[in-house]
Amino acid sequence: MTKKFNDLNYYELFKIPYNASSFEVRQAYKNILAIYEESSLATYALFAEDERKTILSKIEKAFSTLIDDEKRTAYDKRLVDVGEIPKDLLTAQERQKTIPLFQANTAVTKHNNLARIRKKIKEKGKGKLASALLNRDFISGQDLKNLRESLGIELEEVFEATKISPTALEAIERDDITNLPPKIYLKSFLKSYAEVLQLDAKQLVDGYVKNVEKR
Amino acid sequence: MGRIYSIGGGKGGSGKSFIAASLGILLAKQGKSVVLVDLDLGASNLHTLLGQRIPQRGLDAFIDKTTKSLEDVALSTTIPNLHLISSTKCSLEIANLFYAQKLKVINAIKNLPFNYVILDLGPGINFNTLDFFLIATEGLFVATPEPTAIENTFIFIKSIYLRKLKLALKEANMWHICQEEVAKLSKGAVKSPLDLINILVEKNLENGTAFRDLLSGLKFSLILNKFRGQVAEDLGEQLVEVCNRHLYPGFDFLGNISYDSRVYESIIARNIFIQKYPYTKTVSDLQNMARRLAGAIQQPIQIKASK
Repeated sequence: MTKKFNDLNYYELFKIPYNASSFEVRQAYKNILAIYEESSLATYALFAEDERKTILSKIEKAFSTLIDDEKRTAYDKRLVDVGEIPKDLLTAQERQKTIPLFQANTAVTKHNNLARIRKKIKEKGKGKLASALLNRDFISGQDLKNLRESLGIELEEVFEATKISPTALEAIERDDITNLPPKIYLKSFLKSYAEVLQLDAKQLVDGYVKNVEKR
Repeated sequence: MGRIYSIGGGKGGSGKSFIAASLGILLAKQGKSVVLVDLDLGASNLHTLLGQRIPQRGLDAFIDKTTKSLEDVALSTTIPNLHLISSTKCSLEIANLFYAQKLKVINAIKNLPFNYVILDLGPGINFNTLDFFLIATEGLFVATPEPTAIENTFIFIKSIYLRKLKLALKEANMWHICQEEVAKLSKGAVKSPLDLINILVEKNLENGTAFRDLLSGLKFSLILNKFRGQVAEDLGEQLVEVCNRHLYPGFDFLGNISYDSRVYESIIARNIFIQKYPYTKTVSDLQNMARRLAGAIQQPIQIKASK
């Protein structure tokens, strides 16, 4: 015996499992609205004005409950109390959490990458090589490259962390004057580079620029 | 005993006869014996869709007792395995069949010795149409994706349920109880079979739920005909879902049939469309339906276009 429409709980109304993710809730909401909204071809002849209003308000209420974590937990508890869903169903299956797409791609990996670089610097200890480099009046790209490689950091990791294009980074490390970016960009690039390798930015920029102008 | 499919739907011109004829031909081509019964009494024209002249014999011979069995008037057609029981020769007043005659026809149809019996019904919701529709093991509703047709289809479906319920109540000698209750209602009329069932359940009559189960047990399928691109792809599924939720479960969506203006042309030219244009979308849609009805394969996976 199937339930009457009015007796359906929110999950049955939306036709989703009890552990549905918020993405599924949203999707189901969209689908059910398409059936019951006023302009829908499927139902316009079936319901009177007030019947439709009650149905739509129930759908809205269901959506606002299921999409809100707090309200949903409270609602789930109520369903368990009434005996509509078995208790172990809630504890057994954790509700699937979603990760927003933009975070999954950038923020997380960027964070991991920086942390990895920090760890490498900490392990090897930039120590003498770094201070020797900064004490020089003229700092060449080769010096930077040597320092980076001695720390075991890949060029790609610098790119990941700074988003400076690899060709620009290579030009800097090769002292390739014709391919270097304009001076104003060069300075800010060097600053970012220094920050990644945890060097004093001002000293590095001054030394490098002097070295370039010397030629 | 074969399977009986009835093809109905409230609105005229939605393509019931065309679909009946096409499905009949396609099922016959699978090598099954098929009989088409034209039950659009007083307005029968199934023979035209099969590209034939007015048949010499038909249902009339059975009704006026010229022949004893209905099988005798199942005339063979140009298509092997396909037979037609026409009602063209019936008198102009045949639409108002007497009750006894109707029962005789219904019983005879139930006992026709064919693999498939396809009943083509007329529009509207008069008792003859409803009673003939209820003969079937599975009822097929034909609608077009237009508000008017969908409206009429809902009315037709509700009428079918109400008719079934009323007959069952009369049989159980409970109709008078309902009538008393209905008279108490504000408008004194039943708008939906759900109302009646609710009355029965509320009054705590023990059979109330039994009647509900009776209606839930009816099997129906929906066909959307003359389907064009601008209609939402999932309209059929939405309709079936709504029916299952708000009326009684037992609905299934059989599929869309694409619109093709050549259907109209071939009817005018009195050609058989599916023989003249076998490689059209419309025919492949019908083909899928026939296969599903024959139970050969499941519905193919439909790839929905993203909106």
